[in-house]
Amino acid sequence: MKLEYKSIIDSLLEKPSMELLSEKLFQLGHEHEIEGSIFNMELTPNRGDCLSVNGLARDLNIFFGKGPKKEIYTNSIDTLELDFENLSPKDCPSISFLEIEIGNNQKKYKPYLESYFKNLRLNKNNFFTDISNYLSYETGQPTHCYDRDKINRKLTFVNRTSNENFKTLLDTEVQLEGNNCVFVLGEDVINLAGVIGGKNTACSSDTKKILVECAFFNPESVIGKSTKYNINSDAAHKFERGVNILSQEETLRRFIKIVEDHVDILSLKIKFFNEMSYQTKRLDINETRINNILGTNLSKKEYLDYLFNLGFAISDEVEIPSFRNDIVTQNDLAEEIARAIGYDFIKSEPLNLVSKKNSINLKENVLSSFLVNNGFNEVVNFPFCDEKLPSSISIDNPLDSQRDNMRISTKNSLIKSLLYNERRQHDSVKLFEIADIYFKKSNIVSHVKKIGIIASGRQGHNHRDFSKKIDINYMSCTLDPILQDSISLIEEIPRSMLDSKINDKIFYIECNLDLLSIDAQLIPIHENKDVRFTQYKEISTMPSSSRDVSFSIENPKNLNRLIRTVDSFKSPNLKKSFCFDYYINSKTGIIKIGFRFIFQSSSHSLSDSEVDNEMKLLMNKTLKIDGISIPGILF
Amino acid sequence: MSISDNIEPPKITNESGAYHPINQTKNYLVNLLKGLGFEEVSGPEIESEVFNFDMLNIKKSHPARQMHDTFYIENKTNVLRTHTSPVQIRSMLEAKPPIALTSAGKVYRKDDDATHLPMFHQVEGIYVDKNVTFANLKYLIHEILHDLFGENVNIRFRPSYFPFTEPSAEVDIQSDNGKWLEILGCGIVNPIVLENCNIDSNKYSGLAFGLGVERIAMLKYGVNDIREFYKSNLDFLNQFK
Repeated sequence: MKLEYKSIIDSLLEKPSMELLSEKLFQLGHEHEIEGSIFNMELTPNRGDCLSVNGLARDLNIFFGKGPKKEIYTNSIDTLELDFENLSPKDCPSISFLEIEIGNNQKKYKPYLESYFKNLRLNKNNFFTDISNYLSYETGQPTHCYDRDKINRKLTFVNRTSNENFKTLLDTEVQLEGNNCVFVLGEDVINLAGVIGGKNTACSSDTKKILVECAFFNPESVIGKSTKYNINSDAAHKFERGVNILSQEETLRRFIKIVEDHVDILSLKIKFFNEMSYQTKRLDINETRINNILGTNLSKKEYLDYLFNLGFAISDEVEIPSFRNDIVTQNDLAEEIARAIGYDFIKSEPLNLVSKKNSINLKENVLSSFLVNNGFNEVVNFPFCDEKLPSSISIDNPLDSQRDNMRISTKNSLIKSLLYNERRQHDSVKLFEIADIYFKKSNIVSHVKKIGIIASGRQGHNHRDFSKKIDINYMSCTLDPILQDSISLIEEIPRSMLDSKINDKIFYIECNLDLLSIDAQLIPIHENKDVRFTQYKEISTMPSSSRDVSFSIENPKNLNRLIRTVDSFKSPNLKKSFCFDYYINSKTGIIKIGFRFIFQSSSHSLSDSEVDNEMKLLMNKTLKIDGISIPGILF
Repeated sequence: MSISDNIEPPKITNESGAYHPINQTKNYLVNLLKGLGFEEVSGPEIESEVFNFDMLNIKKSHPARQMHDTFYIENKTNVLRTHTSPVQIRSMLEAKPPIALTSAGKVYRKDDDATHLPMFHQVEGIYVDKNVTFANLKYLIHEILHDLFGENVNIRFRPSYFPFTEPSAEVDIQSDNGKWLEILGCGIVNPIVLENCNIDSNKYSGLAFGLGVERIAMLKYGVNDIREFYKSNLDFLNQFK
């Protein structure tokens, strides 16, 4: 909700700067952003009473005092005869109607009304609707204006189940379904209560006689309707959060005053329909309880002063103002006082709890630790899928049809993760995921914790493993310490089923954690308390290029020097290097050692010459070492 | 003796993998809370509306219960939990105060855009005992944030609204550029919630807090796009060894 700085301070006795106003709004819990002279408020849903200039100013009074009260029409008003019936007082316990007829000599908008539209960049509509919109901004009470001449049959408020069309005053068609609170003229819906009025009874710029409806709708009766019918409605936002049930007469009298500021009024009539009498809510005066909640040491006087300045009446009890629908318990009062003090000014007080050592995920920790130490990366996948099996749990309101069921296995997620990395030029992919898997068993929701492990490609990036591909033997030997009897569950996933042109075999195993017996003593657990939180570097989306270089070393003593030179080599685009081949000719003593260098730029696809230039720098360094050569390369 | 016997071949260093950064962060937070005296508990990701909403004083009309915010399953019989708080409810029903519990895990909300995901992680804590106050809550939150962001971090408490705590607060830290960043939500456990769990609210009070693991991970690691965590990209994951 956007509020103008000037309109807020006009309602306060003191005139704080924008900075001070902003600081105090944060202290009160009213989050906002400042855009020029506009405060864009993000109020919590319990503070419907602050969704207006007057409401917010009322909350700020504790710091800046009350400003002058807005003028209202104070003369007596004739009673309106209206054929109206409230068939659902539970949903609308209080409603009022005002009939106004005006003359023709409408003047220019007064500055307060003109600046509302100008500064908040709002479109004007027609005279009466403009006043209604402004009044909602000023007071927080939405009103709706009907063209009086079009209310020519019995008007009824009703909560009814129906399936019918309704044309809004924005000219949009809404298909009403299920239960809705509506105003009905004869049999026709003319207003979706608390959300938006209808086209057929709307005012126009020619309208001279209107019927203003001013109501309190039970928030639970109207909540969710604007979202359901995709209607952006300021009124709905306010009614859903609760308006002041006792403000209707004052709001309508303010309405009359604004009309009177602009045009001659020919006639006025008003009628109040209160279906139940309002009982003021009360709470005990109990400063001890408040001090016990907050950890403060307030005197009774301080406690009562805070509440009084926040708008609470004090008798032998604390009387809750009718606009504070959110105050129910002593804890609510404690929050009020804490806001007034300022949360940051409440002193902290130590807790003396004894450190705990329990671990509820020992098996999970052991498995993760083992796999990470053996080169597997942990992934976390979303549980949604489009595969519907008899045991699948279906989602009633999925994000889309591709995600309308819960997975019953980690398999497809891990296959997708593997293919994703293969497409990004990873030639060795080893992944695992541990997740709770949910399914139906005899129509009852059940779950198990599963581990899924998938691998494909090279066994490793070193001279021993580079030329070996992951196979069943590798999987069995590597995973035996954790999987033991379950090792026979390892399966090969046929590539023919997948969108993949790579030939490496894919191996997968999935186990229920409950069925694995792990000897935690044998496998050390990585302690996450030691997490270093190293800074992440943006990953490149550019393709990588690699170069393989085979060095010949005549003097074996220089092997380590070569390795150190390669390991310490830095260049702008070198992503990774490793030794993939190593061989000693036992007769000649000549060593052949091969390195792979992988380059990737963060900004562009590297050209061959760019890669070659970086390689030349390295080769120049290495070839300075005595007895090192690169067969086939001359410098 | 052959020539090769005298030569040390290149070392074969086994490439290690990496724990997922979200799990690293989650476990870090859980360990931190255990150190502060909280016992770890867990609970299901599929919950009844009673545990996910009703027991936590989230009324039928609360927007969070709408179909556009919460995933309902199997003809509205259950929900994917929208927070880890139901775990605390289950634990409070079983244990008598004093209790100090922490729960961590996946939660779900019907969101999917550049800054929101339909699944994310939370770590929550609750402490119920005699004379637990807002001043105690402030102490605890300072301890947590000083551990995460250093002793000199500027911390701001703002009033907020959660149906299950009253008073409620959101807590911000000040970043290097002076901007305030929202870090966690917390408050004094609403007496209605204690009574729902058969705990006498005239005798006991409690504090509760919850942190978004992704938020903390993004700040600590310097990751700007939350979606990166769930792409399973090895170039990304390998940075968190």
